[in-house]
Amino acid sequence: MRTPHHSRAGKFTLAVAALVALAGGFVGVSAAAASSPQASVADTGENYVIGTDTTFAPFEYRENGELVGIDMDLIRAVAENQGFTVEIRSLGFDAALQALQSNQVDGVIAGMSITDERRLVFDFSDPYFDSGVQMAVAEDNTSIGGYADLAGETVVAKRGSEGETFATSISDEFGFTVKSLADSATMYDDVKAGNSVAVFDDYPVLAYGINQNNGLKSITEKEQGSSYGFAVNLGQNPELLAAFNAGLAELESSGEYQQILDRYLESPATAADSGFFGLLADSLPALMKGLGLTLLATGLSILIALVLGVMFGFFKVSESRILRGIASTYVSIFRGTPLLVQAFFFYFGLPQLTGQSIDVLTAGVLTLSLNAGAYMTEIVRGGIQSVDPGQTEAGRSLGLSYVTTMRKVVLPQAVKIMTPSFINQFVMTLKDTSLLAVIGFAELTYQGQQIYAANFRTGETLLIVAALYFIVINLLTLLSNKLDTRFNK
Amino acid sequence: MSTTTASKISVTGLRKSFGNNEVLKGLDVQIAEGEVVCVIGPSGSGKSTFLRCLNKLEQITAGSVVVDGFDLTDPAVNLNEVRQHIGMVFQHFNLFPHMTVLQNIMLAPVELKKVSKADARTAALALLARVGLSDKADARPAQLSGGQKQRVAIARSLAVNPDIMLFDEATSALDPEMVGEVLQVIRDLAAEGMTMVVVTHEMGFAREVADRVIFMAEGLIVEEGTPAELFGNPQQPRTQDFLSKVL
Repeated sequence: MRTPHHSRAGKFTLAVAALVALAGGFVGVSAAAASSPQASVADTGENYVIGTDTTFAPFEYRENGELVGIDMDLIRAVAENQGFTVEIRSLGFDAALQALQSNQVDGVIAGMSITDERRLVFDFSDPYFDSGVQMAVAEDNTSIGGYADLAGETVVAKRGSEGETFATSISDEFGFTVKSLADSATMYDDVKAGNSVAVFDDYPVLAYGINQNNGLKSITEKEQGSSYGFAVNLGQNPELLAAFNAGLAELESSGEYQQILDRYLESPATAADSGFFGLLADSLPALMKGLGLTLLATGLSILIALVLGVMFGFFKVSESRILRGIASTYVSIFRGTPLLVQAFFFYFGLPQLTGQSIDVLTAGVLTLSLNAGAYMTEIVRGGIQSVDPGQTEAGRSLGLSYVTTMRKVVLPQAVKIMTPSFINQFVMTLKDTSLLAVIGFAELTYQGQQIYAANFRTGETLLIVAALYFIVINLLTLLSNKLDTRFNK
Repeated sequence: MSTTTASKISVTGLRKSFGNNEVLKGLDVQIAEGEVVCVIGPSGSGKSTFLRCLNKLEQITAGSVVVDGFDLTDPAVNLNEVRQHIGMVFQHFNLFPHMTVLQNIMLAPVELKKVSKADARTAALALLARVGLSDKADARPAQLSGGQKQRVAIARSLAVNPDIMLFDEATSALDPEMVGEVLQVIRDLAAEGMTMVVVTHEMGFAREVADRVIFMAEGLIVEEGTPAELFGNPQQPRTQDFLSKVL
């Protein structure tokens, strides 16, 4: 279940962890581990550092800022049962595994499937959860009762997941088409919207979603899939592993284990539909953090883009063919390729080429500033060239140098012409930050996605996100225009 | 007419091409200190390009232009320094629209650190008085008539105390009733002994103020002489043809 899914998504969560580490104070969440407390002998009262994923509801996710979920409740209950304490680090899936391999954490619990490959590098506990694939349809759908009713229909599954593998394996037999989407929330919306009749997803994820009133109902038994296990580094912390197994066994026999599962998979949602304003109040703290990062990335990018734009803009109007060539090449590369491709390239491609990893804020700002810089270059060039050449001639014929003529005569007029375009570019860049959600940059849109991934209230959440963008952009535009009229007479 | 010694401006074999289009095809002109030379000729004859070569607003393709002993084609010559001795007035004024009239005039003296700001201001006001625009010191160029703009432009050129003035069809963009006021300023400058090269379509004016008139056509000097010679008794058929159309 998690194996294929996380090979991709893990990079996003890793990115989040890296970002959080970098933007620490700004985000207000301290997650990424810098120091590495070394594990020693297991004793009662020992403290263990446990790594986990950022969001994988219902196993781990944040509710009111607190890490909750089956994994979280289970590891805490086991710790209490066995008399040790845990410090949870929400690192992201891949990052947690890397931290485990480098002994920066003592164990990992992250809805991780026990596979033969992983057994080569980790020691696994007894399985604590048997996952599997399940099919669900819209709540009001009465025509689909099983796989046989799917003939001629389209179903949806998560790209690269075991659900997709399973659905594809039976698609010929039952005559339906499988379509792939990136995450659970959008799959469920796809089914509710009627674009697909059914969804194949991990059963605990699906059960949790139904629990959260996502508007679906499950109609088949789960297909047996892999099992989840708690992991320690190969040969390390055997006493922790033993304690986990012992604790798990005790919780299972005491019924506490089942209570934990029921809490997330069976019982009705604890916080039922809280209404729009409840959602607003709940989501606002996370969204404001996202907005902060959006503004940070926008501010940094615009500043760098301005420097790039002025530099290459002057290159473009210079008499040197080489400088003009450099500027033209730069502009055509960054205007001639999609921003999304650039973001992927800087975040995923560049580290592979250079062997140097790059954090998501750096990659994001690099992408946005280089992209906006190309447009700024054209704005600066256009601004300078739109000033009558007679102005330069008048300045030069008075004996003023090129630089003085630029500074005193051309630029004051050019800046006035450029200002509206600058404001426009500023707004564009602010909106473009939302594209960085795809590389896991925890800005406003990303935060919105995280929220509806957990509560499945896609429409309302996106409405709030859009409203925040709208308000901020219009306030900034208003301010910019005020400054423009003030300084440009 | 030309003098072998102490020419203020000495042009030899001047050629200028834009791409494959040769606009000046080898000009030789000597201009003495204090001389007023008017350049006339049909559109496209290269008059303005010739003028713009005299302060190197145009790159010189071949030949040499020596002003005050400085060879403009010599890369070692500090053009900015040389240009401070050569004022230029443009057909379209080219006033700086983001500055007041006074700021337009003060910019070069202040930026070139020739004088203090206070002195530049005093000098600028004096220049404005000289062109009859004392009351426009704080106006913006956009608030002026064409004739007023051109007079400000002349004052601006004079602010760096040039000893040569170049006029590039300075009255061509003006309404007819404003031509007179600008010509009067130029006439006054001529009377003061300023060395001037005036590209103009005002034949009457050329006849009146010029020491020498040069007739250009198709990138060449066809004929030159005193106004009386050139207007009264043109030798070349091309000159006769042109004058018969404009006089």
